Amino acid sequence: MAVKGRWRLAVALGVVAALGVSGCGLNEDNSSSGGTSSDAVLRIGTTTDVSNFNPLQSLSKTDSWILNAMYPHLLRIDENAQKAPELAKEYRYEDDGKTAVFVLRDDFRWTDGKPVVADDVKFSAEKIMEYKLGNVAAKLTWVESVEAPDPTTVTFKLSQPYAPFAEGVGFWMPIVPKHVFEPAGDLSKFPNDSNWVGAGPFVLESMTKGQRYVMKRNEHYPLAPEGKAAVSQVEYRVYPDVNTMMLALRNGDIDLMGTPVPVSAAKTFENDDKIKLAKVGALGFAHLTYNMKNEHLADQAVRQALSMSVDTKAIISAVLQGDGQQMAGPISPIFSEYDNTGIEPYPFDPEGAKAKLSAAGYRDANNDGFFDELSFGVTCDQSNANITRVVQLFRESAAQAGIKLENECVERNTFLTRTRNGEYDIDASQWGVFDNPMDQLRSTYLSSNPGGINYNLLESPEMDALINDAASTTDPEAFKAKIKNIDRVVHEQAYLTPLYVENFQFAYNASKFTGFIPSPSDLLGMVTAYSLAHVTPVK
Amino acid sequence: MVRFVLSRALKAVLTVWIAITSTFFLLRLLPGDPTTLMVEGDMTPEMQAALLKTYGLDRPLWEQYVSYLRELIQGNLGISFRQIQPVTDIILDRLPWTLLLAGCAFVLTVAVGIPIGVTAAVNRGKWLDRALQGFGISANALFVPSVAILLLVFFGAQLGWFPIGGAIDPDTRGTAAYLSLAHHLVLPVLSLVLVQLGPYALTLRTNMIEVLGEDYIRAAQARGLSARRRVWKHGLRNAILPALTLMGLQLGTLVGGAVLTETVFAYPGVGRLIYEAVGQQDYPVIQGAFIMLAVTVVFANALTDMLYAVLNPRIRL
Repeated sequence: MAVKGRWRLAVALGVVAALGVSGCGLNEDNSSSGGTSSDAVLRIGTTTDVSNFNPLQSLSKTDSWILNAMYPHLLRIDENAQKAPELAKEYRYEDDGKTAVFVLRDDFRWTDGKPVVADDVKFSAEKIMEYKLGNVAAKLTWVESVEAPDPTTVTFKLSQPYAPFAEGVGFWMPIVPKHVFEPAGDLSKFPNDSNWVGAGPFVLESMTKGQRYVMKRNEHYPLAPEGKAAVSQVEYRVYPDVNTMMLALRNGDIDLMGTPVPVSAAKTFENDDKIKLAKVGALGFAHLTYNMKNEHLADQAVRQALSMSVDTKAIISAVLQGDGQQMAGPISPIFSEYDNTGIEPYPFDPEGAKAKLSAAGYRDANNDGFFDELSFGVTCDQSNANITRVVQLFRESAAQAGIKLENECVERNTFLTRTRNGEYDIDASQWGVFDNPMDQLRSTYLSSNPGGINYNLLESPEMDALINDAASTTDPEAFKAKIKNIDRVVHEQAYLTPLYVENFQFAYNASKFTGFIPSPSDLLGMVTAYSLAHVTPVK
Repeated sequence: MVRFVLSRALKAVLTVWIAITSTFFLLRLLPGDPTTLMVEGDMTPEMQAALLKTYGLDRPLWEQYVSYLRELIQGNLGISFRQIQPVTDIILDRLPWTLLLAGCAFVLTVAVGIPIGVTAAVNRGKWLDRALQGFGISANALFVPSVAILLLVFFGAQLGWFPIGGAIDPDTRGTAAYLSLAHHLVLPVLSLVLVQLGPYALTLRTNMIEVLGEDYIRAAQARGLSARRRVWKHGLRNAILPALTLMGLQLGTLVGGAVLTETVFAYPGVGRLIYEAVGQQDYPVIQGAFIMLAVTVVFANALTDMLYAVLNPRIRL
């Protein structure tokens, strides 16, 4: 009986503990009620919790989904990857490009009733520079001072002209309410995790960490068709596993997946009448980049031969199931004004590549089918299934051209550390988001390597001169011509082999909501402030 | 008994210290640092250096270690790199969910595992035993995420009996909230139980068979004790001792399994926190969570040992 008694006690204690624990959990819920079906609540799946509510500091993509709907930006990116007005009505350069002037709308309001004014913009920019916050600090490199001469004018005095300055700052810099953020003191330590005041179409009201984030409509949002969004509430629900998120969408638990549907899974929605897929292009692209510190890869003939050994069409067909665009030079076709259409991708021609290498003096003395000195490692992030597959295909096709490649795909952190330290021959990876070609060219080809992503480790005075010259060109037409010229030079030099521009597909429940305005890339995709302000429930 | 408890407690503290030290150094042996994952933005080397300084990662390793231990003794697990919040708060926010999930799975595993193990042993060699053994071995080979996603697809999406992910419907209150909690708990618990049950039931079966052949069981039979009393009172009490050790050890794997289960079921526990923190190399959160898990497992094992001593007085020697 004694044993039996002890077990009973143990079970009873277990039950009490379980109920007690669950009680703690329930008490933690600080969310509001609401979310009845008549309220038109848009539920969006996200993959992770918000890690940082301070928009000036956050570096997380999923954070930006929520923060972008709360804090306005001077400019937004439209469906065609062009910058469009948001808080700023317009911008112009003065003083030979050394002053950028933004003219703001006067009808944006913070949710506590105060107007959004030039002082808020000045404050946001100055604090980012002071504390070197987020990735916007780099966009403000050229700023000497910021002035707000009147409530709707902001001027940035630059140390030197930089053509896409206004575009970069306008798109990336969140504007925060000075009257809320200033009292917080050191903004690098300000968590901003309660009592939110925003001026976007929705503002966070409550959260149940690990589960959902509830955003209420801002009743005064001038960019929404009716002066406020048609949806009264946006709820982000957290699904770390994309398969679970897809099931939740199918099941009606959410109405939109914030994250793109994997190519391999897109077909599973084909037979679902309610679910629609919206397709957008990427703002980055997949590429093979050659380390110029390798004595053989420093040889233009070798890089060109490698480019001729990559069957990009087959890769797009096999890896993306046809859902991607081919590229010629380093400028993505999504930037149609800057893309040099006069250049053609290197043809897939392993025999031609072999002939080129023979002509350049390379030999296969031991007759093993490979040129003696041409053996390279290709490094990649093995968590990227597409790129890993690309490396396999590249290895096979390069062998036909007599070039031996080793697959050196590794775990993500190791990969990033290797790329940072230049420990690779060929880097196979995917650029994330370039919102304009100039920033891209500066980051990837300048000797000073300002963004840390000059994976070529290129140190070319000629290329530096071309980039710096273009960067300070304020005449739009001359600027475009100079970008196109760099596009051509990089292509001729074959510093990289562009592989493809991926398309992203976002799944949503079209039987319940319509009117999304997707933006390119998976950075914000369907959940830009502008898009959410335009979503309407299906009647 | 006091000496026994004291010696166990000392061993437990030593184990936790080893766990803390190895976690600290292993994390720092990983390639890269917390700024590595941020390099794809426009982060200049100066900004990376500034961030590392903010995190205190620019100091010599031993200095970081000593300072970490000093803070830890005061109950301070540090500040999360990404969330700029005390790690203790972040973990305590998530801990109840993991305790609930792992606790329910643990209780259910034991509650189901004992009858299965005993029934199989009593019916040794018969079809029931073979069926239960087959189930045990198959369950042993199951992989948590695969089971989880299969359960979700079938019971969640196809039949619609259970919700797809989450821990509770945040809009419910009172009794409805408890029901919603239980409703959300079924599939994650089931996936953990399915994976844990096999080894537990099989161990118990083996022990039980051994015990049922002992002299004292035959003596009990000779004394005219009923089969039910022989098996459940005399047999089980002895057969359960090794299984008890297994239970303590299994708590570790249960918590490990919770990392994957919580991720698939979008369950907001410590397991998912670890999954997210590893992806972001948020050292303080990973360290804090691991220490908390190590303490849980060590504590459970120490408790098992003491329970063992209660059930089997010979251990106290």
